[in-house]
Amino acid sequence: MDSARDTILNRVSGALRDVARQPLPILPDEPRVSGDSTARVAATLAAIDYVSGKTRRVKNKVELQNALAELVSAERVKKALVWENRELRELGIAEMLSQLDVEIVSPSEDKRALALCDLGVTSTDAVLPQTGTLALRTTPEQAEIVSLLPRVHLAIFRPTDLRADLRETLMQIKDRAHAVLITGPSRTADIEKTLALGVHGPKEFYAWSFEGE
Amino acid sequence: MTETLSRIDFRRNTQNVPPPIRAATIKNTRTAVLKRAEAVQHLGVEYWERLRQAGHEIRLHALTHLDQYLPMLESKVIAAGGNVHWANDAADARRIVLEIAQRHRAQRIVKVKSMLSEEIELNDALRDAGLTALETDLGEYIVQLDGSRPSHPTNPSLHYTKEYIADLFQRKLGVDAPPDPAALTEIARVKLREEFLRADMGISGGNFLIAETGTLVLVTNEGNGRMCTTLPPVHVAVVGIEKVIPDWNSLTVLLQLLARSTTGQQMSSYTTFITGTRDRGPREFHLVLLDNGRTRILQDARARETLLCIRCGACANICPVFQQVGGHAYGAVYSGPIGAILSAQLLGVQTAGDLAFASSLCGACVETCPVQVPFTELLLHLRHRAVEGDRFEPPVAPAVVRAGARAGTIAFAWSWLYEFGTQILRFAQAPLKRGEWLPSLPPPANRWTLARQFPKFGAEFRAWWRKRGARGEKRDA
Repeated sequence: MDSARDTILNRVSGALRDVARQPLPILPDEPRVSGDSTARVAATLAAIDYVSGKTRRVKNKVELQNALAELVSAERVKKALVWENRELRELGIAEMLSQLDVEIVSPSEDKRALALCDLGVTSTDAVLPQTGTLALRTTPEQAEIVSLLPRVHLAIFRPTDLRADLRETLMQIKDRAHAVLITGPSRTADIEKTLALGVHGPKEFYAWSFEGE
Repeated sequence: MTETLSRIDFRRNTQNVPPPIRAATIKNTRTAVLKRAEAVQHLGVEYWERLRQAGHEIRLHALTHLDQYLPMLESKVIAAGGNVHWANDAADARRIVLEIAQRHRAQRIVKVKSMLSEEIELNDALRDAGLTALETDLGEYIVQLDGSRPSHPTNPSLHYTKEYIADLFQRKLGVDAPPDPAALTEIARVKLREEFLRADMGISGGNFLIAETGTLVLVTNEGNGRMCTTLPPVHVAVVGIEKVIPDWNSLTVLLQLLARSTTGQQMSSYTTFITGTRDRGPREFHLVLLDNGRTRILQDARARETLLCIRCGACANICPVFQQVGGHAYGAVYSGPIGAILSAQLLGVQTAGDLAFASSLCGACVETCPVQVPFTELLLHLRHRAVEGDRFEPPVAPAVVRAGARAGTIAFAWSWLYEFGTQILRFAQAPLKRGEWLPSLPPPANRWTLARQFPKFGAEFRAWWRKRGARGEKRDA
């Protein structure tokens, strides 16, 4: 049906006719963060701090409410986008923000309306402690723009989201994958290799571990 | 295409590098080399070397199984709601992208930085068709504003100073721009935010294509890649066929290697995974798979490993030649050591044979490369092609150089002939000799003596060596 397709595939097959086929190697074991859950959460937060993220440990919902109040006031948040998934509903994030006089905008609004939001709140699908990397799947309840368009991104993860290595982290997202791995805020060093934060994605990146019920 | 047809004269290009570009290139490459070294140290050198070995084997596995992985990738992308197109050459690829744009009546296109897009000169084709194609990576945006070309595979604006960029922003954008990277970045953010929201189509390249699931992987830092592939209603990715990798396990190795080699980060800010279409994303996803000379490289058993490259740019940063002359001296889209071997093959030695000689063969690139591309071997192979020709291309070197090379091959093959030659030169030099030196030589050797004297032919080494042996000292076989 496609002549270019056949031409290219024929040329590839021809080129490889007599080639020694290299087998896949056994992969070296990735370095892991040792210790109990508390130690591994601490390592995760340290790695996120290192890439200019703002981290915090939150023990329960009361602390969460207080932390949100501080964030809303520090970043002057008027409008927010929140993932519509079970994790964030159970935490009651949207209600807490409403009580702080923050307008909750639906992610299905027009993208121009979404671009005016100050804050986007997400949970995580997996977390890699070594590099402070958060894996976020894109699903109907977990719109990608929530972690992309607002000026501030807040990701709330649980200690159970932590994975041992990159391989296990990717296992969590590879099934029909639309996802993004996030390590720190948007950045560039294109001008004289000088780091500048907040190019097109969020300028401020908050990552909180929630260790309550 | 006009640029690529005339022969690239690397030597002449190196003599025309403006001093500010040289200074910026030296400064910025050194910073990049230091950042990479720190990242490798942090991870541990021993583990890093094991990763490089695995990375090499994974890429070689992928290349030697391309006939299986390409159809697998295609069927997975289609199953996920995407469209797959095949392009023989640059003209094919440009036509496919234009047709998609015209079908959607797209006027404004936002682009993610892609070297392959430069290779096929996509922006010119879109502009000629009356479309607006805007580069959105900060470095690439600066280069486009300046009407210039990227000077480095991963850091297109490497050759600019902040003062130059500030002046450029003032001239082209009509804004008050201080020479401060943070302020300049903010100006670009505001300008481009509006463009992302208005765009009808997004165009990207791709870092990897995972055959196992049909997933496109984009590794970025600024977030423009996410904007271009999320906000517009159509996303077109144009990717070389060599970018296919088998599976997600392989990706773990390559991701650990890529960011550390490119910027010295442990992980880039954003690694995006796109498998066909999705809810609340672009309605259409198109993958254009480009050959454009890659299958010809694949046919050459000795040059095949050129295609292992994952475009990290570390070879350019470490290269003493690149550091001194900058990317534009290579006269081709791909610069640095990878550019030397890739351009000489994509464009042919007729056009780019000079680039096989654009290296001192010091081997720093070989030691740095995250997937162990054997640069020096490949450079020698391509020098051989340029001088003597092979089954892929006829020679391009002048007859006198070819004759000289052939004479050299014969002389070095028999030691008695070599010795005889040195004795002849000892007598033949007599009319030219002034003491210990030969101040001038006949052409073509006068290219040396125009600049400096040549030492006299002594033919003393072998005699000295024999005497040394006769004294009964240790002598290797």
